[in-house]
Amino acid sequence: MKEIVRPAVILLIITAVAAALLGAVESITAEPIALANEKTQNEAMQAALPAAATFEDVDAELTGTISLIKEGLDESGATVGYVIVTNPGGFGGSVPTTVGIGMDGVITGISVTTPSETPGLGAKAAEPEFQAQFAGMSGTLAVSKDGGQVQAITAATITSRAVVTGVNEATTWFAENGGAN
Amino acid sequence: MGNPIKIIKNGIVDENPTFRQVIGMCPTLAVTSSAINGIGMGLSTAAVLICSNVVISLLRKIIPDKVRIPAFVVVIASFVTIVQFLLQAYVPFLNDALGLYIPLIVVNCIILGRAEAFASKNNPVDSFFDGIGMGLGFTVALTVLGLVREFLGAGTLFGIAVLPEAFPDTLMMIMSPGAFLTLGVLMAILNYFTNKKSA
Repeated sequence: MKEIVRPAVILLIITAVAAALLGAVESITAEPIALANEKTQNEAMQAALPAAATFEDVDAELTGTISLIKEGLDESGATVGYVIVTNPGGFGGSVPTTVGIGMDGVITGISVTTPSETPGLGAKAAEPEFQAQFAGMSGTLAVSKDGGQVQAITAATITSRAVVTGVNEATTWFAENGGAN
Repeated sequence: MGNPIKIIKNGIVDENPTFRQVIGMCPTLAVTSSAINGIGMGLSTAAVLICSNVVISLLRKIIPDKVRIPAFVVVIASFVTIVQFLLQAYVPFLNDALGLYIPLIVVNCIILGRAEAFASKNNPVDSFFDGIGMGLGFTVALTVLGLVREFLGAGTLFGIAVLPEAFPDTLMMIMSPGAFLTLGVLMAILNYFTNKKSA
């Protein structure tokens, strides 16, 4: 009996100590983590819609892969456009794409993060060279291979298509909701 | 044992986890598409390995033999989670680059292997140095792999272009086959020189 109880009790103590330690670290780092995430989010929104000074929540239903919609306001408080975050499926997982759209429906910029794309290939979608071409485009986009105007990343057509899908989803939402407001 | 320099050298050269023991292959092959990823993964693994080695060595007389594996795994998993929290909170850019791979440290058999083979049999000081040696050995191996693959696959070293634009990139080197090829060739070269020395 003692041979069963002793290891069990010791293992219980080890796991309890580990759990307490993890709880403590979690409570200390929760705030910095939230701040870091918010900062990343703000930088992405600012890059997508440079004309905006502040961003405000929009009372809209999130459809499809859209995870966030914000309204961009300039210093005087006038609406200059919308920022929409979509999460299209890429090569390795979802590709969070922040799309900025001006009030005229023209894309002002995009910001892509690639948490699960192949480094050196699909992950290049996160670089400015790829993202810059989207500014000024409007309507339904497609990669050049599919007869569209977007230059896909070499050897990463799947990721490029994913970003285009995400951008299209955002412009479609804008055409259906934002433009009418 | 007992000599710190000898223990460290053992980890880096004589029993290098990647080239000699050939363990921890999953992260080795997966993350080494660039040199900076290799360093990041190597150092995070080393940090966890040093901590887990010391704690397991301290607990080696308390942990009953029958439950040692679950006890080791709890200790290792706790350290990995703590490292991930800290990276997310204070070095978010590193977390973005390595995010996917950090949870993989838990199942990296180098860490459990050293807990079982070294830390559970030696004192905390020796275990600390074993963690440094094995951790550095792993880091060096991953960095070399990353350097070779990044150079051939993207024409850059640590993100800085070194080959002229006209030089074609061998994309395969950054993808999975490149990892296997590079590892195999590097091991062959190392074996050639070790065999020559001992002959």
